[in-house]
Amino acid sequence: MNDFEPTILAFLCNWCSYVAADAAGVSRLQQRPNVRIIRVFCSGMVDPGYVVKAFSLGADGVLVAGCHPGDCHYISGNIKALRRSFLLKKFLTELGQEEGRFRLEWIAASEPQRYVKVIDQMVDEVRQLGPNPRNRSPLSA
Amino acid sequence: MLNKKKIAIYSATGCRGCDQTLMDVHYQVDSLTRGADIVFWPYLSGSPLEDLEDQKEVDLCFFSGAIRTEMDRQAAVKLREKSRLMIACGACAAYGGMPALFNLKNIQNRHLSEDLDNTETSDSPAGVKGPALPPLEARVMALSQVVGVDYLVPGCAPRQNFLWAAIQAFIYEGESSKRLSFSAFRLPEKMAQAITSGILPPKGSIFSGDKAVCSSCSRTKEKKQFPGLNRSWEKNPEPGRCLLEQGFFCQGIVTREGCGGLCTAAGLPCRGCFGKTDEIFDPGPKMISAVGSTIDSDDPATLAAMADKFVDLAGTIYRYTLASQCALLG
Repeated sequence: MNDFEPTILAFLCNWCSYVAADAAGVSRLQQRPNVRIIRVFCSGMVDPGYVVKAFSLGADGVLVAGCHPGDCHYISGNIKALRRSFLLKKFLTELGQEEGRFRLEWIAASEPQRYVKVIDQMVDEVRQLGPNPRNRSPLSA
Repeated sequence: MLNKKKIAIYSATGCRGCDQTLMDVHYQVDSLTRGADIVFWPYLSGSPLEDLEDQKEVDLCFFSGAIRTEMDRQAAVKLREKSRLMIACGACAAYGGMPALFNLKNIQNRHLSEDLDNTETSDSPAGVKGPALPPLEARVMALSQVVGVDYLVPGCAPRQNFLWAAIQAFIYEGESSKRLSFSAFRLPEKMAQAITSGILPPKGSIFSGDKAVCSSCSRTKEKKQFPGLNRSWEKNPEPGRCLLEQGFFCQGIVTREGCGGLCTAAGLPCRGCFGKTDEIFDPGPKMISAVGSTIDSDDPATLAAMADKFVDLAGTIYRYTLASQCALLG
């Protein structure tokens, strides 16, 4: 179990979180290399279908990160993401994706340290959970 | 006089509602027997599967019910061998239907044991005499996940007019213009065009409309925000207004039309028995997206409480489609 390296898909918003990830790289902050980043224009445009598709294709975790509430470039996109996240978490848990595999976080452009912290935490947590259940047993997949 | 077609009708795991719908041809039974012979129908005649051996070939097979037991699978394979056209009739055969909700149990059991073969036993308890029950499959499947299917007639139960139109279209296959025009009136445009031009619709066609139930729903939409979700017994729906806007979990927005909005007209939220529309990747996240973003609150605590209140989210969304349209399980 310990040599399992999770793959985490991160949807980062163009205006805050992606800039934070960029800054983290530029400032050479040490971080876990398990993340595949997809830049989106707003966390509000991440349809729950994207998250479900990521899991159905075998991602071990999905992170959606956007601006802090009130800072959204499009006024309230991040609030829309927040509204969907609760039902989505419940939905994913019911279908066998444990709590912790999906996360919604607020990371501002000026918070590269926070970005690194979130990534490291999430990678460790998902490593504990093990591989995506879909990849584990083909019968129940 | 045209050659009479041979029809086989079979129900696997299900409620036999589809057989009832087929029997609901009423006065048309006369014109049905003029064009076709029903050679195999265990629901009416009690005939065992072996009776099929007498038939060299069957023209048309209406298969209803999900694949739940080994016997269901055997029947599906045998009927596929014998039949020229195989039609998945009803939500169970088309998408897995309600029996497929059993697959949710596999997820719960996964935490107890990785060995899924022992989740359930169908052996009779010691000392109980009776016929041996067929062993269960590890998971419940739609017909198309076991054998090739030519056409789907969804619905729970299928709409009688679609089914009758489908029967006519297949029986007369361009031989009777009067009957074909009858079918064409009742079928979705694409299929009607194919049938009236004397060819069968493309394989895999679904006998329903392409749009969402909303397009044939009689209710009007006004404002896309609502304070919270209601279950259908908690509140009387206002007449004439969109059920989703009133906080009912109506799945009309993700479901194929064809039923004519029967349930919603009667004040019952759509339950999705026609399956998802083609444009949608998965009905689950789409429903969550629609409901989640229209809740009229920005407060995480309120939103969390609302999500907690919802009982059996996955079972509600995939009530009829868990086996074949759920991306996380399918």
